[in-house]
Amino acid sequence: MARDRGNSDDYTRPVRRILIGGMVLICLALFLFWRIDSPRAERIRAQIVDAVVPGFGWALVPVTKAAGIIENFQSYTRIYEQNQELRRELQQMKAWKEAALQLEQENAKLLDLNKVRLDPALTFITGVVLADSGSPFRQSVLLNVGARDGIQNGWATTDGLGLVGRVSGVGETSARVILLNDTNSRIPVTIQPSGQRSILAGDNSSLPLLDFLEAPEAVRPGDRVISSGDGGVFPAGQLVGQVVLGNDRLLRVRLAADYERLEFLRVLRSHSSEVITDPGSLIAPARLPGPPENGNG
Amino acid sequence: MVDPVTRRQWGFRALFLALAAAMMFVQILPFRIDNPRWPGPDTLTLLAFAWVMRRPDYAPAFLVVAVTLFTDILFMRPIGLWAALVLLGYEFLRRRQPFSRDLPFLVEWMMVAAVLLGMTVTNALVLAIFLVDQPVLGLTFIQLIISIAAYPVVVAISRFALGVRKVTPGEVAAMGHRI
Repeated sequence: MARDRGNSDDYTRPVRRILIGGMVLICLALFLFWRIDSPRAERIRAQIVDAVVPGFGWALVPVTKAAGIIENFQSYTRIYEQNQELRRELQQMKAWKEAALQLEQENAKLLDLNKVRLDPALTFITGVVLADSGSPFRQSVLLNVGARDGIQNGWATTDGLGLVGRVSGVGETSARVILLNDTNSRIPVTIQPSGQRSILAGDNSSLPLLDFLEAPEAVRPGDRVISSGDGGVFPAGQLVGQVVLGNDRLLRVRLAADYERLEFLRVLRSHSSEVITDPGSLIAPARLPGPPENGNG
Repeated sequence: MVDPVTRRQWGFRALFLALAAAMMFVQILPFRIDNPRWPGPDTLTLLAFAWVMRRPDYAPAFLVVAVTLFTDILFMRPIGLWAALVLLGYEFLRRRQPFSRDLPFLVEWMMVAAVLLGMTVTNALVLAIFLVDQPVLGLTFIQLIISIAAYPVVVAISRFALGVRKVTPGEVAAMGHRI
């Protein structure tokens, strides 16, 4: 080799070592900062992502469109089968629709008879999915709505079919949604016919796990899973999916939301419900009326 | 005026940055094509290592650490830890780069694999010590194996498509300074 080792490095090596060491230290300090003050670090992260990813938007749109075109083109090749399938489904749907209409009327009647008051505050904002987490270990997507549109941390998102995740990290014009199958996602749910309460815990697989189930024998595959709203952070009554039995003999949930095709997501505005704090007190007038003077005045 | 060597160097640095940006861009595209059970290789780290084994001046440390730190932020990883590890691995390889110039590719591959293994284990250990939730360990190691398997591909692309070759002694003399 034409180079005598060390000679030319003599000046640069110590400086270089200090520089590299400094950079490593800065990185580790950042890691410590992230570990110690996680909310602030995550806010900074949200701001940086907010500044960067919408800038990619112009590039993301053609790529997603092209993929959509390819997907549609593929579907042309099996359009006949699809047509037949759709017809069959339509037949079934008509029957269901009839049943649903009747049930709806019946339900409305019963609600009216019982004077039930439904929660009127559940309106939604729809956002477009900009990007996903980019890491195989994190299941999250980025929406193009943010603090500017009034999005707040903790709000639920659905794709119209079922619950998708919760907002975690809000930038000015973007918001990150942690999907239900992320390892950090824990959602209180109710399993429908049996009324069992459980926690839906994501574990990075497509079928999240039902955790802390009191009586697993009361739950059968095929049962409906809806959000329970326990703890007051999540709206109740949103469809999550169906119970299935995983390969590992654990009860898991097949999500109703179409995770393969997350394009538009609804962020449900949930307002903190009133909290009842005191156990209730005796209802009485503020002070006892004095004894009547001169009874028949 | 800028001499051709410097121009070439900065051209390749810009190319590195562009490749990194393209990789990030592809990774955050909102498709879920790949099965989550099979994570893809960590192409950015592989690229940095493949280049540092050939031409460390094309992928300087500050560029590598800046890009990795940015991906830490973008990909929701613990901020800074992976960047620090990549920098340490980078320095380790860079130290040995002059000695490995004449070594066969297999040895280089093994060395990179060992460094990646060390980085992954350290990452998992540090996260465990700091009580950070981390992905399933099996998944992390599957990614490590896929990354190691993908290293020759990254090297082949860098070498034959982009022209990042090891320096020959003649070139060193022509440039007249350390590279």
